[in-house]
Amino acid sequence: MIDITKLLENSKGLDGWRMTEKATASYELFFVHKQLETVRATDTVDTSVTVYVDHDGKKGDSTFAVFQSMTKADAEKKIATAAARARLVFNEPYALPDADTLNAELPTNMKDADPKTLGRRIADAVFAADTVEGGSINACEIFLYRDTLRVRNSRGVDKTQRLWRVMIEAIPTYTTEKESVELYEDHRFTFFDPAKVTAEIAARMREVRDRSLAVKPAPMTVNVLLRPLEIYLLLCDLADDLHYATVYSHANLHKVGDDLQEGGDGDKLTFSLKSVLAGCERSTYFDADGCALRDTCLVRDGVVADNFGSSRYGQYLGVKEPSGELPFCVSAAPGTLRKEEAEKEPYLECASLSGLQVDLYNDYIGGEIRLAYYFDGEKRIPVTGISMSARLSEVLAHLRLSDSVCLDGAYEGPDRLLMRGVSVL
Amino acid sequence: MPFSSYLNGKRADCKALVESLSKHFRYVSILGTDVSATVIRADRKSSAVQEGRGECGFVIKMHDGRSFFEYSLDDISGDKETLAARIAEAVRTDESLAGKMISTAALKDEPLSQDYARETDFSRYSDAQLLDICKELSGALLAKDEHVLNAICMIQPYTVSKLFITRNRELSQHYGWANGFLVAVYSDGKLVQARHVEGDDQLSRVIDGLKAHTDSVIDLAKHLTTATPIEPGIYDVITDSSITGLIAHEAFGHGVEMDQFVKDRALAKHFVGRYVASPIANMHDGAAAAHSVASYFFDDDGVLAHDTRIIRDGILEAGLSDLASAAQLGTEPTGNGRRDSYKRKAYARMTNTFFEPGSDKLEDMIASVKHGYMLFETNNGMEDPKNWQIQCTAEYGIEIVDGKLTDHYVSPVVMSGSVPELLKSISMVSDSFKVIGAGMCGKGYKEWVRVSDGGPNLKVRVKLG
Repeated sequence: MIDITKLLENSKGLDGWRMTEKATASYELFFVHKQLETVRATDTVDTSVTVYVDHDGKKGDSTFAVFQSMTKADAEKKIATAAARARLVFNEPYALPDADTLNAELPTNMKDADPKTLGRRIADAVFAADTVEGGSINACEIFLYRDTLRVRNSRGVDKTQRLWRVMIEAIPTYTTEKESVELYEDHRFTFFDPAKVTAEIAARMREVRDRSLAVKPAPMTVNVLLRPLEIYLLLCDLADDLHYATVYSHANLHKVGDDLQEGGDGDKLTFSLKSVLAGCERSTYFDADGCALRDTCLVRDGVVADNFGSSRYGQYLGVKEPSGELPFCVSAAPGTLRKEEAEKEPYLECASLSGLQVDLYNDYIGGEIRLAYYFDGEKRIPVTGISMSARLSEVLAHLRLSDSVCLDGAYEGPDRLLMRGVSVL
Repeated sequence: MPFSSYLNGKRADCKALVESLSKHFRYVSILGTDVSATVIRADRKSSAVQEGRGECGFVIKMHDGRSFFEYSLDDISGDKETLAARIAEAVRTDESLAGKMISTAALKDEPLSQDYARETDFSRYSDAQLLDICKELSGALLAKDEHVLNAICMIQPYTVSKLFITRNRELSQHYGWANGFLVAVYSDGKLVQARHVEGDDQLSRVIDGLKAHTDSVIDLAKHLTTATPIEPGIYDVITDSSITGLIAHEAFGHGVEMDQFVKDRALAKHFVGRYVASPIANMHDGAAAAHSVASYFFDDDGVLAHDTRIIRDGILEAGLSDLASAAQLGTEPTGNGRRDSYKRKAYARMTNTFFEPGSDKLEDMIASVKHGYMLFETNNGMEDPKNWQIQCTAEYGIEIVDGKLTDHYVSPVVMSGSVPELLKSISMVSDSFKVIGAGMCGKGYKEWVRVSDGGPNLKVRVKLG
């Protein structure tokens, strides 16, 4: 492949550049029931270049892709086109990150594993959970990735990190004479623990059996318990509103100092975005600009404490030390809700939602429930075929967070969040 | 713009690699892709002119007489025997899995050589012209009302070149599509976003459509600031084309993707030939079924585009398949094998999915509703092909009282419930028809492809929350 950086250095009229290369090698297994339908492998590189042109007191930029197939003439033409495009763009000036270097690996225990052997071991761990009578794993896709990410810029940034990650998509299914039901489950990790994979999928197998027994309850207003995935999604939606770019474009609902739980009597919410979370595939040491990342507490005791985002938008907002474009690795503080306290009154614990809908603008939170457990004060009854909805502001004001915590994918924090008085139909 | 000169130059390389790999596999196909996209955007404070998500590379599909293998790479230059050996080794399995490989019939490789193209007007517009249009429209939105905090105009043209080669088949296709977006961030006691989307293979029509909707975007924003939550309940509902498309796509489209039949993940497998919808409901999917964003000439398995009638007069007639699922089911593929990019696997995917128009007038449909809502604009949806539950979110609804649309807006509106109950509740179908091609569709939570959906207005009875 041609040396793009040399061409960029020799191009006239550029005031800076950034180049991002992501090389990915993958090994992928696709099972239909317990049989292997397709085996895939990939060996690809994504390269993108951004050029910067300072003009008329403003800064223009334009990004283009570089393909392996390109000739020197192709690349020179792309650079010239991007430079011309950058001159059409009149953005407020900002500084590119200063020189900094890094060559690092994100923590993993899969670095030295042969992909074919590791793929088989992961498949064994998945199907070891297929032990529930009447149950089966009707489909399973296993993706093993090795990513090498390198970011360079014209000011001397040169950072590389390597990441080994796995994604498993498994479909636990339970079939009776009357019907067949399924749940969707995906697992993403950078540390392979076969026992953990088997245990998590086995738990899902038991839940899908419960789904086959689930009944549709009468409409009710009830306390609802969210599990880690949905807590994570809720916090991500709150975080999204606090991005520097959202603030800069006047699209943010909340600003620093706003009390998200005004008038509330629940646990106070405190959560941060972190650059690295143990075992999380979103972890990264630097962002797309090559900037080091600063873990940032966005909400402390229910009050918006900070914003986050890229160096460029941080500079626009006058932030002295922008956080960098943090990944959505969410760390939340535990609350005070004990299991015994939650069980003092009936609740609905959501085990599987088709998706949590959070709309900050319309003060809404809700979703279609595929499997939940209704605790009536004495026993847990599996329920399905219902949806829930509530005012987000009321949920936030009165929420309770468990005192027990978990580490689950891109989330660490309380393993249950209780929403009071949710309408279930 | 013509077909990719790069891919044209790779035809001989593809054929040579097919020959070399044929020593290892019984069936070999190579799909070469060269997709370029441009994003032109302006808002109150910033602008951008840059490349969007494109791709350029190759994916090789192989079948050994039993199972499928794929390999994705950026370039196929160099010694083909060496490359073929590298690919064969890369897709080898651990020995203990070799006995678990699935067994399907050998794949057909029917001879065909054809070049397809559909012209766009993209080359008539320079970057500077498109950026000026975006700035003008952003400025026009900002000038309309002091409550507009920000206004975004974005135009995204993209062009696709694909080359498909097997021993007996050599196909190429070239086409383009463009989307345009207007978004107003508006605050008047309540912060809202109102948007309008256009899509066409002619930029001139996209631009005209955007220009014609600046007033309606601001009007919608004003109304959204007054929108209230809906009282959950079961209502008579009239859908706009976007929501009709959402129902077609989420309620039933995903459920007839036949790779789900293979995995016993779709209830529809057991309902072919049976009533699944009202007798006045007719539904199609196909790259050749409508002119929109997913109107290609052949799919990523090299199968020519189809028009598949999924539901005829309420009866489920057929599903959608890629090469692998058709091989396992013993059916003919329907031209629905699609990839997120050359780096990803082909799955059975929707293309342009819609209900056929009927004979009712929209005004009669609204007049027939004592109390209900007309729903507008897709926000998102989630399918459940196994258990036929749906959840679809509309951006907003307008209350209908005594057969008349009121000024009462509700937002957002989540439509949920049982698929057959929803489809069997279709009681009126309008004579209008619109397919909207600005969306992306995932399979589960990944594998994004461009799709369109739509149709006429429907009258249904459904749970809203």
